[in-house]
Amino acid sequence: MAEPILRVDNLCCGFHTEDGYIRVVDGVSFECEAGKTLGLVGESGCGKTVSALAVMGLLPQPAGVVEEGRILFRGEDLASTSHETMRVVRGQKIGMIFQEPMTALNPVHRVGKQLFEALRLYGSGRDQDEPAVAGGAALGRRNRRGRRLYESRSEKDELTARAVEQLEQVGIPDPVRRLREYPHQLSGGMRQRVMIAMALAGQPDILIADEPTTALDVTVQAQILDLLRELQQARGMTMIFITHDLGVVAEFCDEVLVMYAGRIAERAPVGQLFKMPRHPYTRGLIESLPRMDTPSRTPLNTIEGVVPKLTEMPAGCRFSNRCAYADERCGREVPVLESCAQPGAVGEPRDPKRSGEAQAAEPRDPKRSGEAEAAEPRDLKRSGEGEAAEPRAVRHEVACHHWQRLAA
Amino acid sequence: MSAPLLETHESHTVSEHGQTPAPRANAPLLEVRNLTKFFPVRAGVFLRKVGDVHAVDDVSFTLDRGETLGLVGESGCGKSTVGKTILNLLRPTAGQVLFEGRDLGTLSHAEWRAMRRDIQIVFQDPMESLNARHTVGQILEEPFVIHKLGTPEARNVWARDLLERVGLPRSAVSRFPHEFSGGQRQRIGIARAIALRPKLIICDEAVSALDVSVRAQIINLLLELQRDMELALLFIAHDLAVVRHISNEVAVMYLGRIVERAPSRDIYERPSHPYTQALVSAIPLPDPDRDRDRIVLEGDVPSPISPPTGCRFHTRCTYALEVCEAKTPEWEPVSERQQVACHRWRELR
Ligand SMILES: Nc1ncnc2c1ncn2[C@@H]1O[C@H](COP(=O)(O)OP(=O)(O)OP(=O)(O)O)[C@@H](O)[C@H]1O
Ligand SMILES: Nc1ncnc2c1ncn2[C@@H]1O[C@H](COP(=O)(O)OP(=O)(O)O)[C@@H](O)[C@H]1O
Ligand code: SF4
Ligand code: SF4
Ligand SMILES: [Mg+2]
Ligand SMILES: [Mg+2]
Repeated sequence: MAEPILRVDNLCCGFHTEDGYIRVVDGVSFECEAGKTLGLVGESGCGKTVSALAVMGLLPQPAGVVEEGRILFRGEDLASTSHETMRVVRGQKIGMIFQEPMTALNPVHRVGKQLFEALRLYGSGRDQDEPAVAGGAALGRRNRRGRRLYESRSEKDELTARAVEQLEQVGIPDPVRRLREYPHQLSGGMRQRVMIAMALAGQPDILIADEPTTALDVTVQAQILDLLRELQQARGMTMIFITHDLGVVAEFCDEVLVMYAGRIAERAPVGQLFKMPRHPYTRGLIESLPRMDTPSRTPLNTIEGVVPKLTEMPAGCRFSNRCAYADERCGREVPVLESCAQPGAVGEPRDPKRSGEAQAAEPRDPKRSGEAEAAEPRDLKRSGEGEAAEPRAVRHEVACHHWQRLAA
Repeated sequence: MSAPLLETHESHTVSEHGQTPAPRANAPLLEVRNLTKFFPVRAGVFLRKVGDVHAVDDVSFTLDRGETLGLVGESGCGKSTVGKTILNLLRPTAGQVLFEGRDLGTLSHAEWRAMRRDIQIVFQDPMESLNARHTVGQILEEPFVIHKLGTPEARNVWARDLLERVGLPRSAVSRFPHEFSGGQRQRIGIARAIALRPKLIICDEAVSALDVSVRAQIINLLLELQRDMELALLFIAHDLAVVRHISNEVAVMYLGRIVERAPSRDIYERPSHPYTQALVSAIPLPDPDRDRDRIVLEGDVPSPISPPTGCRFHTRCTYALEVCEAKTPEWEPVSERQQVACHRWRELR
């Protein structure tokens, strides 16, 4: 694989709470391949947001702690970098769409003001190497905290022009009017578009999107997913897409990390994950979905029980109290991620639906193979050139002592 | 496992039922006729009324004993308002709600109180409806207390039986709601709703906040209870895959109106209304090999304060003609059990 743009190595972090220190992310490692979308799925509280915030250096302080782990952006370790450098990294290198648009957008400030701050903080998209804030001019207006809002009339005009451009880019009609509005005056979909515009203000190489569509209606979700896909294509952006919706994962991600109780349970290209889930938890999750094409009113498969409290985790595999395959070893020994790909298997480098590279990849699943060659116009548009990519080994890893039993 | 319990207080149920007017023979369990609910919008210093939110506008449907009707649509389309109006938590602006043939709007206070045992509701967040300072036991005994059923000892046993029925340990009676996870709290909410053996439960986004694996557990529980107790469900949710799975029939709402009603299978396999088609096509499926032609609707849902004339979907419908703007489409049968409100459904098939 090419040098990953982001590599997270054995990330462990947690919080100081009334009951003492609690580790909530325990040894998470992954890489992001440039230009691809890595999905992060798992149930509420499993550590998705905390992992992302740790990468951004934004864990709530002073409670949040990164105990250990390396976060390498293009080979440079962010975990040990200065706050100043991190400020530049955030926004210009890694942008983030936060889970709660209403808390990330300040309700008392107009959209324009918040977007100006993001544009200034993250610097000009046109000229990334120049410092974002030009120093000096005494005439600059200040905001309430005494920070300069803009340096001069012309700077304001320029910021406005750029803000308008940003809003247009994310498909907001009548952007000049929107700049003067407050967040509550926007619909959920519009607010999410503003969030995207703010995250993209510094033209980051990586965009972390934390549940960007969870609060939205499904037809609006479809609009936002389309928008993100277009922006990613246009900018060659890498994405980390956090969600608990396996449908969204299937449609949007290239590779997927499944998290359970602060650890990674499984990592697979999206096609493999749904076709041959190797971790009992992943399999349980997929099978417990109500599907549109199965008979209604039949009992769904379930994973019995609940996720244990963080303070009451089993010693070995954290899934062992709910797992049908669990034995004595599982209760004792922590399973580590190991490869479960079939030897010699070559995989699709990217979900063919989005890349048009399908033809060069592995033999298709028979059910679809007839249609695979006849790429639709939509695929072509997405794929750009559609050049043949080199097939490579499927990277499929699972943290389970008994994954072979599921494979059998 | 808890059949004895449910029979035990069944006897109380019967005795109290004597006080309510006799149900009309062969009436559907629930019939909603031309239900309309507007909320006034006020503005200015004198809070003068400047308009109405057309939350629910001329909605009609029926629901039979033991059946599930799913009510699906995007946020703000009026689903919860339908539920609350049925429960008399809101007074309808126009229209009627009939339960076993009796018009709920004409019941006396005492009659309504007796009737209220037959209709229960489960909300999205049970914490909002469960008293945080009461033990689970107190919460589950409350319906019996309100309706003066049983001795304190009997109520305590019933509360434990109910917990067991919904898959929680009997010992949970002495704990507090906040000690439970979201899914477990939803089980408590359901236990309370079935305490008095209702005939109808309105589930308003009852599983929407739950994680996938927990959601499946709760859906199974509802299906099982429904079978054992001949319960009817009005299942309100925005997630069509979930609604479809649990329902016999599905009604799709858009801006205060039902635009299509069909058996669960048909709503996915042959949606007839352009809005239903867009909704169905927008659902992300957990199947990466699936190629789909997605209909992406433009723009947002218009304001319910001055909704579009004629067909309310015309501002976003790719098939809209002049007639769509001018005339409200009639309710037409597509098949025996499928109905649609669209001027052009025949041509669009
Ligand atoms: N500020 C905090 N202080 C203490 N504990 C926290 C804090 N923030 C998060 N946690 C805990 O860390 C764990 C992981 O939380 P996180 O927000 O990453 O979950 P998530 O996977 O993003 O869940 P969701 O799907 O609900 O967004 C949880 O147990 C949570 O309660
Ligand atoms: N008590 C109320 N006062 C004023 N408007 C309301 C009230 N309740 C609901 N509405 C409005 O009625 C419409 C339908 O709301 P609701 O039934 O809650 O929608 P849904 O449950 O489908 O999301 C929305 O526009 C909502 O803002
Ligand atoms: S290691 Fe595998 S088999 Fe054992 S409990 Fe964990 S998931 Fe189940
Ligand atoms: S009536 Fe007209 S606008 Fe409404 S859904 Fe049918 S075709 Fe579209
Ligand atoms: Mg989160
Ligand atoms: Mg609602």
